[in-house]
Amino acid sequence: MIYAIMYGLTVGAVLYLISVGFSLTFGTMRVINFAHTITYTLGAYLLIASMRSLGVPFFWGGMVGVAVAALAGYGIERFVIRRLYGESLDYTFIATYAVFLIGVDIVKWLWGVFPKPVSDPLGKTVDILGFVFPTYRLLVILLAIVVFFGLELFMRKTMVGKIIVAALDNREGVRCLGIGVEKYFSLAFVLGSALAALGGVLYAPITAVHPYMGSHILLLCFAVVLTGGLGNLRGTFLASFALGMLISITGRYWPAGSEIVAFVAMAAVLLARPIEA
Amino acid sequence: MGNVVKERGLVLEKTFVAVGKQLTQAGVGQKALELILIGVVFLILVPFLGAHRATDFAIFCIIVLSFDLLYGYMGRLSFGHLLYVGVGAYTVGLALRYLTTNPLLAIVLGIVAACLAGMAVGAITVRIAGAAFALANLAFNRVGWFLVMSPLKDITGGENGLSIRNLSFWYVNFRNPTFRFWFVLASLLLVFLFLRIFTSSSYGVLLRSIKEDEKRVRFLGYNTQLYKWVTFVLAATVAGFGGALTALNYGYVNPNTLDVHANAGIVFACLLGGSGRLYGALLGGIIYMLITNLLPVYFQRWEFFLGVALLLIVFRFRGGIWGGLEALYSGLAARVKSGSSKEGMSR
Repeated sequence: MIYAIMYGLTVGAVLYLISVGFSLTFGTMRVINFAHTITYTLGAYLLIASMRSLGVPFFWGGMVGVAVAALAGYGIERFVIRRLYGESLDYTFIATYAVFLIGVDIVKWLWGVFPKPVSDPLGKTVDILGFVFPTYRLLVILLAIVVFFGLELFMRKTMVGKIIVAALDNREGVRCLGIGVEKYFSLAFVLGSALAALGGVLYAPITAVHPYMGSHILLLCFAVVLTGGLGNLRGTFLASFALGMLISITGRYWPAGSEIVAFVAMAAVLLARPIEA
Repeated sequence: MGNVVKERGLVLEKTFVAVGKQLTQAGVGQKALELILIGVVFLILVPFLGAHRATDFAIFCIIVLSFDLLYGYMGRLSFGHLLYVGVGAYTVGLALRYLTTNPLLAIVLGIVAACLAGMAVGAITVRIAGAAFALANLAFNRVGWFLVMSPLKDITGGENGLSIRNLSFWYVNFRNPTFRFWFVLASLLLVFLFLRIFTSSSYGVLLRSIKEDEKRVRFLGYNTQLYKWVTFVLAATVAGFGGALTALNYGYVNPNTLDVHANAGIVFACLLGGSGRLYGALLGGIIYMLITNLLPVYFQRWEFFLGVALLLIVFRFRGGIWGGLEALYSGLAARVKSGSSKEGMSR
């Protein structure tokens, strides 16, 4: 049981890292960003590529992954999403899905379709009260919490963060103050992409890396974001850990149902509080 | 409240009247002509593709038509439409295995099952607005796929799929490709006729108004949630019909019928042909099937191609092929008209 909770926390941490960017882009730009999955996948693949072919250690490989994915995120924002501001949501959704298709195909072309395993970079375990945990997973959970508080600080204390929070609440109002929100949107988008890539990098040693890994996790993230409230960063944090826990504990008793339970929770929340976006 | 109920009754009543009018009065000849034309197009396709593939095309067109009702007419993009196709297909497979030996009854059961699934899922997802609607449907599609793959593995055969028994009964023989083709073509024409009448009724006008501005329609006193739900269920039902035909056409069902990623194909076909137009859906369905059937033979990176084409459509050609043709036609007509009026002036 303790292990199930531990696994739930790890899943929750990764879910949080990926969904926060998703929530951010939806809250500010009203864009459901399917291309988010591709930055996530890209992060994991770049980690592997840099580790295998350049022989760099895990940490620097991860950094490369995050940096390049952030750059890719900027490219996607600049050339696809910026052209579709103010249009119907469906078009941005379809356009980002198209980006996802292109990205997946490029990944397949570069690295092949077969799953690639990544070994635990630390390989150590910690003994807490007689339970043995892999250190790496503890680190992942810790990192997610650090990111959460870092984001909270960023959103509360810095001017840029305050503008993003204000834009989450009321975009037109911020624009009326004479602030060019597009610049900050682009920043929020890049931030989200970088965090997604970080999630991909961190999750790579826990699962296998394959071209469609993103689309699988995206649905879970979507469940998280809807449960936590679109554009609500704290709600995303809570919901990701709650759903991570739910998934892991259900998986312990009924392995086949572990994935469904997240969507059932989402459906229940939606029934109780429908979204009128 | 009573007013709302009255209003609701009014639209339905008007729809019935309009349907009756369409069936009895003017425009019958035109509709018959349209149906014959569509039939002829598919008959022309047969020698090039073979009956089996032409049947496949027609089934895909049914699915795209049902999607077009939801997306093109009501403006709600669902990324989980294949769920109902899958439900229809699996119900037919399971019904023929365990319940009945009559394929026609199985088709009816498949349609009913898809309708029920649409009712249940629609009750939840219709309440969600915007692109979140698309993703919520996607999530349900994924749940359906997962159910088939793992918890219901014992009856659905999981990844291996399900082969269908009892394909022939009485005069109805789904083993015969020619019979299949005619049956599916008749179904396609039926679906087309139904949607043609339905979308040009007052209900169809209401749907397009919801697409334009749902809030205003609500202010007019219409319960938009109800209409959205009814349309969702209808689209799911037609998709289930398509799914049932798919199962009978292949004699085999596997989880790929409700693969989440294949939804992109439907969306693409609908946009390519031109959304919000039934002919656009037909054209898009045929062209998409031609692309996916022919392109992988020459070109391995078809996902890349699909992505680029989708981007192009979204940026440049919102109207799709049919929209482009319409614009071309009206442009030409205007030019002809202005040309003739100039002539008149000079004279």
